[in-house]
Amino acid sequence: MNKNDFKLIFGIIIICLIFIIIMNFIPKNQAKIAKIYHNNELVLKIDLSLKENKKYVVDGDKGKVKIVTKNGKIKVEEENSDLHLCSKQGYIENTYETIICLPNKVVIEIEGKKKDIDTVIK
Amino acid sequence: METKKFIRLSMLLAISIILNLIENLFPFLNGTIPGVKIGLANIIIIYVLFTNSFMDALYVSILRVIIVGLLRTGLFSITFIFSLIGAIISLLSMALFKKITKLSIVGISIIGSVFHSLGQIICSIILLNNIHMIYYFPFILLVSIPTGIVVGIISKTLIDNTKDIL
Repeated sequence: MNKNDFKLIFGIIIICLIFIIIMNFIPKNQAKIAKIYHNNELVLKIDLSLKENKKYVVDGDKGKVKIVTKNGKIKVEEENSDLHLCSKQGYIENTYETIICLPNKVVIEIEGKKKDIDTVIK
Repeated sequence: METKKFIRLSMLLAISIILNLIENLFPFLNGTIPGVKIGLANIIIIYVLFTNSFMDALYVSILRVIIVGLLRTGLFSITFIFSLIGAIISLLSMALFKKITKLSIVGISIIGSVFHSLGQIICSIILLNNIHMIYYFPFILLVSIPTGIVVGIISKTLIDNTKDIL
């Protein structure tokens, strides 16, 4: 190895660092949609990427289910059931996370905006 | 082509195919990080590039990709196109940098490794229509430095030691 090789390695590392720094400034495409199902029927779609703070009310089997969105996260605030498991679960925000209220038969799912599978290589 | 050169190149082609197959046998050489492998077959390509000519290296390189494709993945599958384009781009850049700069064998090997991954990423952006592959680029680039150095040192030792024999 001579001097030129070290210059080359140094150059490549600097290019990498520049790339990584630039990439951190580009906002990532975090389009997410929360889908709320009751009895396997889609009742409500909420776009989480807007980062709104809103309250929604959905009908469950045992009464109303109150849903809150905050800063791109979503949770069940109040519902009528024995164990209150889904309101204890708290906020969810990542793709494919779910909240399931079994007594009310209400399911909240987060999906990416695009199709689920990017590519299949065989 | 003279018979001597013909036999020499076909022997080297066979070695590069075997190196490629051996590399795929060991999980620590291939697959610990997705999309990264050492590229042992590149040793032979660099060897031919430095001892013979660019055209000979091109023959060996393309034939190697085709035969490994036949043996492992099948011709004209998407991985075959990836490795073909990666091999050609890396060889072209190695020949170019060998001519216009004063890099040693290790430097040329790093160039080959960098451009191999660059070609594959460009190829995947075009073929898979997925621009987000570019996020993978700096990490692949960083990893290609150590693999390039390893391959370069092995090829330099090989060239120095077999000067009188082959």
